[in-house]
Amino acid sequence: MDAFLNQLWIARWPLLDGLITTLQISIVAIVIGTIIGVLVGVQLTYGSYFSRMPFRLYVEIMRGTPVLVSVLAAFYIPSVMGLSLTAKMAGILALSLFAGAHIAELTRGSLQAIPVGQIEAGRSIGLTFKQIVVNVLFPQALRSALPPWINTGVELIKGSSLLSLIGVAELLLNTQEVIGRNFMAIQFYVFSGVIYLVINIALDQTARIFDRR
Amino acid sequence: MKRHFEEAVRHGTLQRGTFMFNARTIVIFGISLAGALVLHAPANADKLDDVLARGKLVVGTGTTNPPWHFKNEVGELVGFDVDVAKMIAKGLFDDDTKIEFVSQASDARIPNILTDKVDVTCQFVTVTAARAQQVAFTIPYYREGVSLMLKSGGKYKNYDELKAAGSAVTISVLQNVFAEQMVHDALPEATVDQFDSVDLMYQSLNSGRADAAATDNSSLKYYMSQNPDQFVDSGYSWNPQSYACIVKRGNPDWLNFVNVALRESMTGTTFPVYKEAYKKWFGEYPTEPKIGFPGELR
Repeated sequence: MDAFLNQLWIARWPLLDGLITTLQISIVAIVIGTIIGVLVGVQLTYGSYFSRMPFRLYVEIMRGTPVLVSVLAAFYIPSVMGLSLTAKMAGILALSLFAGAHIAELTRGSLQAIPVGQIEAGRSIGLTFKQIVVNVLFPQALRSALPPWINTGVELIKGSSLLSLIGVAELLLNTQEVIGRNFMAIQFYVFSGVIYLVINIALDQTARIFDRR
Repeated sequence: MKRHFEEAVRHGTLQRGTFMFNARTIVIFGISLAGALVLHAPANADKLDDVLARGKLVVGTGTTNPPWHFKNEVGELVGFDVDVAKMIAKGLFDDDTKIEFVSQASDARIPNILTDKVDVTCQFVTVTAARAQQVAFTIPYYREGVSLMLKSGGKYKNYDELKAAGSAVTISVLQNVFAEQMVHDALPEATVDQFDSVDLMYQSLNSGRADAAATDNSSLKYYMSQNPDQFVDSGYSWNPQSYACIVKRGNPDWLNFVNVALRESMTGTTFPVYKEAYKKWFGEYPTEPKIGFPGELR
């Protein structure tokens, strides 16, 4: 145990850097993902049949393929086309598209759960479609969308560990680098596992607080 | 969903154009995105010119395998692969800091070369004819093999004594489908004890459960240099494999440049740099190049 604590102290900065990168990537991805997801979600709910199709395709592809496949695709496909993304940018791209698809579905679900009477009521007092969406539908949808939205955040933090495979120096890769030097595989894998767990339980508890309200 | 949509349209609440994308916008956006990507074609001159014009070398390597490429305690990327890459940068710019390392997993070595993510990869790539069909190998800069490490002052002194002892010796080895066969190639009757991590394999030798540990020659040399006077090499190595850097096929000037930089580091003007790197990571000096007739041409 002393040996582990000693090694942990030596490795504190790389591990902290990794944790910061993990959080940074997850936060950027949830922000971009939320923007994509809300726009696509509205389109999926109220768009015409033909304008819905490409968005449906996007959502189905992202939800139907493993995140690792998206990560590798985001890393290699742009370079084949001559657009070189850094590993971190490719990782953020993949996770944002993944989050966008999930948030689009939960946005659609939340909007559809609102009774049609609400739209009619909005219209009867002379609101435009845009005003109805922003002032009538979104506030109500937000309530049911918040807990699954936080779950998407939990998925992103876990999913960000896959970026270690394309060389992003996040928590898992930095942990592996420490293990490569001191061979304390079990201790350090457990340690980083506990960190992921603590962050995700904290997020989960936050979701529950919103859920109760 | 459909009901919701139709109700909204029937009641006249939907005025799409203002808030959402219509089908035409989507198609135009898709076509222009694809067009932008296709038009962005890479330059076609030899890679050597690109690298010189850029003013820095982009090298792919790993970050988790000492003594080849790993992060030291202060977080710097170090190792023999890293030093070899610096020799190439030094040759290009007379400055071994004009280099950018791209961290990559072992499976990414060939894909990252093929997609131009890196100019060269030096990451203990074993040379095989099958891989040479996909990427171009430089000349090798190290020959890896399997060696046996014994405790100094222990029951057995060298390979001959281990072999003579037959089935009485126990060899610790990293778990692997071919591990048993690999040990038996050198010690046909030895008992093989497999471990699933490197530290357990060494621990078994330290505790006396095993009489020798069999693993990569480079790992043993590094471990022995980290723990001086505690272990000895049995003096026998087998299973040769060559490590070389890889570059993209179809860039003859670039391949030739990297070859020259590596060859002269092993036989010519920059040998002192190679020699010190070798000593640093493997704990001993390589044999000096012989003056007179160039031995590599014999």
